[in-house]
Amino acid sequence: MTLLEVDDLHTHFISRDIDNRVRVAKALNGVSFSLEAGRILGIVGETGAGKSLTAQSVVGLLRPPAKIVGGSVRFEGRELTTMAPDALNRLRGHEIAMVVQNPRTSLDPLTRVGDQLVRLHQVHSDAAPAASRQRALEMMQAVGIPDPQSRARAWPHELSGGMAQRVLLAMALMNAPKLLIADEPTTGLDVTVQAQILDLLRDLVARFDMATTIITHDLGVVAHFCDDIAVMFAGSIVESGPVRDVFAHPAHPYTRNLIGATPERFRVGGARLLGGQPPDLYNLPDGCAFRARCGFATDLCRTPVPRTHVSADHVALCHFAGQLDAAPDAEAQA
Amino acid sequence: MSFHRFLLRRAIMVLPLLIGVVFITFMLVRIGGLDPVGKLAGPTATQAEFDSIRENLGLDQPLWQQFAIYLGNVAQGDLGESWLSNRPVLTDIRERAIISLELLFWGVGIGALVGIPIGLRAAFRPNGRFDQVTRVLSLLGFSIPTYWLGLVMIFVFFYLLGWAPPAIGRMSLLVMTPEPITGSYLIDGLLTANWDAAWSAASHLVLPVICLAIVSAAPIIKQTRAIAIEVLASDTVRYAHACGLPEKTVRKLVLRNSAVPVLTFVGTEVTGLVGTMSLIEYVFAWGGLGQYGLNAIISGDFTAVQGYVLALALFSVVVFLVIDIVVHLIEPRSELS
Ligand SMILES: Nc1ncnc2c1ncn2[C@@H]1O[C@H](COP(=O)(O)OP(=O)(O)OP(=O)(O)O)[C@@H](O)[C@H]1O
Ligand code: SF4
Ligand SMILES: [Mg+2]
Repeated sequence: MTLLEVDDLHTHFISRDIDNRVRVAKALNGVSFSLEAGRILGIVGETGAGKSLTAQSVVGLLRPPAKIVGGSVRFEGRELTTMAPDALNRLRGHEIAMVVQNPRTSLDPLTRVGDQLVRLHQVHSDAAPAASRQRALEMMQAVGIPDPQSRARAWPHELSGGMAQRVLLAMALMNAPKLLIADEPTTGLDVTVQAQILDLLRDLVARFDMATTIITHDLGVVAHFCDDIAVMFAGSIVESGPVRDVFAHPAHPYTRNLIGATPERFRVGGARLLGGQPPDLYNLPDGCAFRARCGFATDLCRTPVPRTHVSADHVALCHFAGQLDAAPDAEAQA
Repeated sequence: MSFHRFLLRRAIMVLPLLIGVVFITFMLVRIGGLDPVGKLAGPTATQAEFDSIRENLGLDQPLWQQFAIYLGNVAQGDLGESWLSNRPVLTDIRERAIISLELLFWGVGIGALVGIPIGLRAAFRPNGRFDQVTRVLSLLGFSIPTYWLGLVMIFVFFYLLGWAPPAIGRMSLLVMTPEPITGSYLIDGLLTANWDAAWSAASHLVLPVICLAIVSAAPIIKQTRAIAIEVLASDTVRYAHACGLPEKTVRKLVLRNSAVPVLTFVGTEVTGLVGTMSLIEYVFAWGGLGQYGLNAIISGDFTAVQGYVLALALFSVVVFLVIDIVVHLIEPRSELS
């Protein structure tokens, strides 16, 4: 059975303006992907594309005015979108663990690091406190925290950013999750520390055999690290597939731009800027949302965009997916 | 930093502040034209009598010299004599401070005890029914003038309903005052098993305490709500949810993380209630420090005014010291400094 299956997920921000008219920001528009145990999926896309929102929708962490208005999320066959809050609470931090972006502010400032690890274990298991304590030390060891005994007694504000991120990883591992979702786990860390954390994460994923989703701005991370990639734009996954295929034959113009915009080694299809504003989520255009920024757009692009299979598991959301090399490249000519 | 060094440093830091306060009140009182000589001498006094009173009070000397003498006296714990009460100002203040503190303690204590949970509950469901009702009520609490509230309460609960005793002080005139131990009739009554006195003192406390509680609860509700909403939106709480911590655990976490800013606010509020206290004490003829200060100002008893302001400054200093210590005990990030 597929571990995680997200199908046609729609999340909207529904609010009212000053005149009490309903306003809807269509932030997720039919997101679908699936994840098997042992695989690593990288979600990329520009800021505001809906990457974090996808993660929050999946694990039921949306806050008003965000609301799932359609689609389904199945974890081991269980539907999460309709699950009761306390049942979801038992899943989160247990079978589905999250690593977030701001480790230092995310940890509870008034609780010692070790106690937070223990608390998380206690909440999700019947283990004796001593066993939780032991496990906390083991996990701190596993994420490469030197001298866990004394670090367990540290307060969050005493940790460096990298150390705090290791603590979050230890938190995530505490209950041996089946799915790990890491939302920009290295943003805000030094470059060297970033590399350490990513290496660590890769080792842990292999060692603990978790399905993993990494949300990132950095295609390099995806290339090094992930099995599959999902490229998001304006609340849709515009292209997805095995990393190798997508990097070798990007089928969506946005993916091409993205790859073209990353330094040297990932430069495919010539350098192009990622110019342009993201579309207004309150007012998405009919047809393809990327139209205004696309060098290949034609009148056909005003019509609903088909999900096109480039190969068996390589899919792109574009009228011309797979035919771009044949089509005239307006931008390249300009 | 060790606790003793902290206290020492704080004391050294506070000293110039207190001297400044003494200086400013001293000057303001002189410039403000509070002159007791006329009242002391009476309407029929001759110029010679005037001058001799001036001389007695030291008012014929230059201002800076008067200040130096006063400062020297204050340093030795001598705040001068009040001509209204004919007693050392320090004695007056000591006696009346307890009386005011008793009222302040119950008033703000109940205000906080009621206000903090209300603010929290409103925060957990912002814009819900409870929040909306609360907002209207605390707006009322903000906008009602204190003295008016006091008068209306007296009118309703004493005059119309007869539930409360008359607003003529801290105890019925018909009851024997208890043996003075702390200076609070209620506590002294309880300590000496003088139940009549304790009961009478308690019943006299009710209206002014409710009045003060209402006035102080409004800002506490508003601030607590704002603080808790901020904490609820923090990374910490988001992450707690992401970790699947049960609702009860998350609430506890919110409470703990709101505690420091809320306590700090309540402490700050206490030091800002000077004016309110004066009015309430005046309306209920309470006879505490607030009323003392008000009387002193009105009748130009300037040694008393100076002593009163100095006492208030000292009170603020102590309150902020206590806040710092309490915060330090709850909050691992804080350093005593
Ligand atoms: N309250 C709101 N009302 C309307 N739109 C909102 C609201 N909050 C967020 N959004 C929109 O939801 C979209 C998705 O945001 P999300 O945080 O998922 O982006 P992201 O891809 O994670 O970006 P980043 O790389 O910056 O983290 C954004 O375009 C944002 O503008
Ligand atoms: S559908 Fe049209 S506009 Fe959209 S990406 Fe493809 S070519 Fe560009
Ligand atoms: Mg994000």
